[in-house]
Amino acid sequence: MKPVRRSLILLMLAGTSHSAFAQDTLDIIVPFAAGGATDIVARSFEPPFSDNLGVTSVVRNVAGASATEGTAEVANSEGNPNIIGYEPAGALSIQPSLKQLPYGPDSFTYICRTTSNPMFLMVSQSSDIENFDQLVAASQEEPLLYGSSGPGTLPQLAVAALVGESDLEASHIPYSGSGPAMNALAGDEIQIMADTETILANYDLRPLAVFADHRIEGYEDVPTIDELGLPEMEFAVWQGLVAPKGISQERKTQYSDACKATLESDRFKSFAENAKAGIAYLGPEDFEAFVKQRYDANKQVLRDVGLIE
Amino acid sequence: MDIILAAVGNAFTWQALLAIVVGTWTGIIIGGLPGLGSVVGLTIFLPFTFGMDTITSMALLIGVYCGSVYGGSITAILINTPGTPQSAATTFDGYPMTQQGRVDEALGWATFASFFGGVLSCVILILCAPQLAKFAVNFGSIEVFALICLAMMCIVGVSKGSVMKGLICGMIGFFLAMVGSDPITGGDRFTFGSYTLSSGFTLIPVVVGAFALSEVFVRFSSRNDPGATIPEAKLRFPGPGECFKRLIELIRGSFIGSFVGALPGTGAAAAAFMSYATAQKLSPRRDRLGQGEPDGLIASESSNNAVTGSSFIPTLALGIPGDVVTAMMMGAMVIHGITPGVRLMVDQAETVYSLFVVLIIVNVAMLILSKPSISLFRYLFRLHQGYVMAAIIMFSFIGAATVRGNPLDLVVAAVTGIFAYALRRADYPLAPLVIGMVLGPELESSLRRGLLIERGEFLGFFTHSTISMTLFSLLVLVIVWAVWSAIAQRRRSSVNTRHVETDAAK
Repeated sequence: MKPVRRSLILLMLAGTSHSAFAQDTLDIIVPFAAGGATDIVARSFEPPFSDNLGVTSVVRNVAGASATEGTAEVANSEGNPNIIGYEPAGALSIQPSLKQLPYGPDSFTYICRTTSNPMFLMVSQSSDIENFDQLVAASQEEPLLYGSSGPGTLPQLAVAALVGESDLEASHIPYSGSGPAMNALAGDEIQIMADTETILANYDLRPLAVFADHRIEGYEDVPTIDELGLPEMEFAVWQGLVAPKGISQERKTQYSDACKATLESDRFKSFAENAKAGIAYLGPEDFEAFVKQRYDANKQVLRDVGLIE
Repeated sequence: MDIILAAVGNAFTWQALLAIVVGTWTGIIIGGLPGLGSVVGLTIFLPFTFGMDTITSMALLIGVYCGSVYGGSITAILINTPGTPQSAATTFDGYPMTQQGRVDEALGWATFASFFGGVLSCVILILCAPQLAKFAVNFGSIEVFALICLAMMCIVGVSKGSVMKGLICGMIGFFLAMVGSDPITGGDRFTFGSYTLSSGFTLIPVVVGAFALSEVFVRFSSRNDPGATIPEAKLRFPGPGECFKRLIELIRGSFIGSFVGALPGTGAAAAAFMSYATAQKLSPRRDRLGQGEPDGLIASESSNNAVTGSSFIPTLALGIPGDVVTAMMMGAMVIHGITPGVRLMVDQAETVYSLFVVLIIVNVAMLILSKPSISLFRYLFRLHQGYVMAAIIMFSFIGAATVRGNPLDLVVAAVTGIFAYALRRADYPLAPLVIGMVLGPELESSLRRGLLIERGEFLGFFTHSTISMTLFSLLVLVIVWAVWSAIAQRRRSSVNTRHVETDAAK
């Protein structure tokens, strides 16, 4: 029994060391694995944010289940003033409609929206489709395929909404991320993809339209969806900070002030420029209204395309 | 020429060299500890790179990556516990060699094959990245499905004794991988209404349970057995004659790894299994594979390390990260203001060339550092086996917990460990379970995407493209071969038993 006893003692020692942590560090939950696109932004956001708040923060990646795992952890920490989530659009405004989750749009104290990038409708640079009308014409001859970074993600919703409102004939193929979808686009397995400027600038892609209410700087010749004679459609990839319910008004103000100051800091601005993340601040009330409006709009699209009842 | 000189100059600064040494060495150690693999290693080092310049931070991360892929083989060989899933195939022949007292030879081959695979894939990366990327793009869902079907054939090869038992374990792995979100509809499945299960099972906790924890249990239950002690870790490089004899194996493994690395979404673990499956068919010493044959070690280690270089092919040529690791690397590039994408090779030629130089230095550093790393493991494993096993349990759980910070993974690791111990007692091979888990998700999603593309016509798969036709014909050939050789073997053995019976009758 000797080795067994020895190893048990060793395991116990390892266990106790953990409880010695300080309790007032701020936990920033990122619901994606380390190194992903959202994680990179969150990790660049963290240092100036912590400085402004005057605390030590730990970025913690709680990934899984389309980012709802980490989001649920924030929602479940009701009343804890030392945890916030750096959240992507999907986990807040799409997933709660898609599946049974322990949270909904009313489960958070909204702090601020940090970034937002409008989505573009795009085809491969090597295709001979130059505009939306040609795309529709081509799809009438033979139905096209559009990719996405996964089922129930913004790239799927944007094109699905477009297919519902126009004569475009296209069906959906989900991939395990933007990378594999781009590979499929390059190999002509799929023909259409909707994503942000980051993707557009990095690959051989041609934008046909933008899902926004105005033309985008740098892409002045790309029309908006309503300029194509279709109903106005807005789809953007955004991120924001949420805290659990039940924190004090004072804490909430501290968070939102620190968030605003961070977004105005040169350090974050220069990062955002490199990473092509469009800074788009919204304060607590505006952000809450925005998320709820997006939640309802996305729910309608999901219902229209038959993903939910 | 200037640009190459500048690149070499960038890579040979003291900061970059220090980063390579530190990165590679810690990479080897992290890779060698069961549970802690490439992703954990990179996650630890990623925050440190924020303050460094581009080349230094890339050097550190590439060092950790390549080191960890190699490091996994050390524990795979010494204690039958792959340090990383990428080295799971290394246990097939590595551990039998250890049991036969050929530790030094096994570690030598693993080290040399890793170095060979790493360097050859760098050469391929430098010489034909654009061409290979263009070819890899033709591998759509249907082609990938065919390729994975081929790799699945290695379940037959690694289930020693009973193919049926191997297939059962393969199916268990496959089913485990299916729990959670459906890759096509996004809905939950096999979760029994539990929210905790909806995030599914990931590879690391299962691998840690199946290999590391079950090994600990086996060792505890047989701790009075003198054969259960951990052997002294030594390193002996193969001589030039031996290398020449197995040169074909080295080159084949490296090519398979380089090619699989260039395909997005497959990764080093799948490459090692594919390469092992190929060696089972093509190695001149295939009869001895699985019983401590260096060819098996070479197949696994040369291919998984070849992935390290070639996984940069889609990243650099197309800006598409091939796996989680290169995705993290791309993230680090973005932080330093380099935007990966189609224009990277043109706009940032100097950085890209520096990256090539760094990759080669890392592989050389890996070869040099293998000796001190193995000495370190020798020193660690000289402790009483109880301490070593306790440490393995500890690191296994740390590894399982850090992958995505989900407490479910700890439970998964523990339950898999107990279950795997029972399976081992009943003589079920565990490798197919991991193969099912590694290849299952990609097999399923590529099949279902293929069906969407072909509008539900499975027959359309066979005529989809020349590549898919070739791969499926190859698959049929392999199956026919396997069945035919099994029948031939049974006939031979039944003839033998009849001889024995008649002998006994006399």
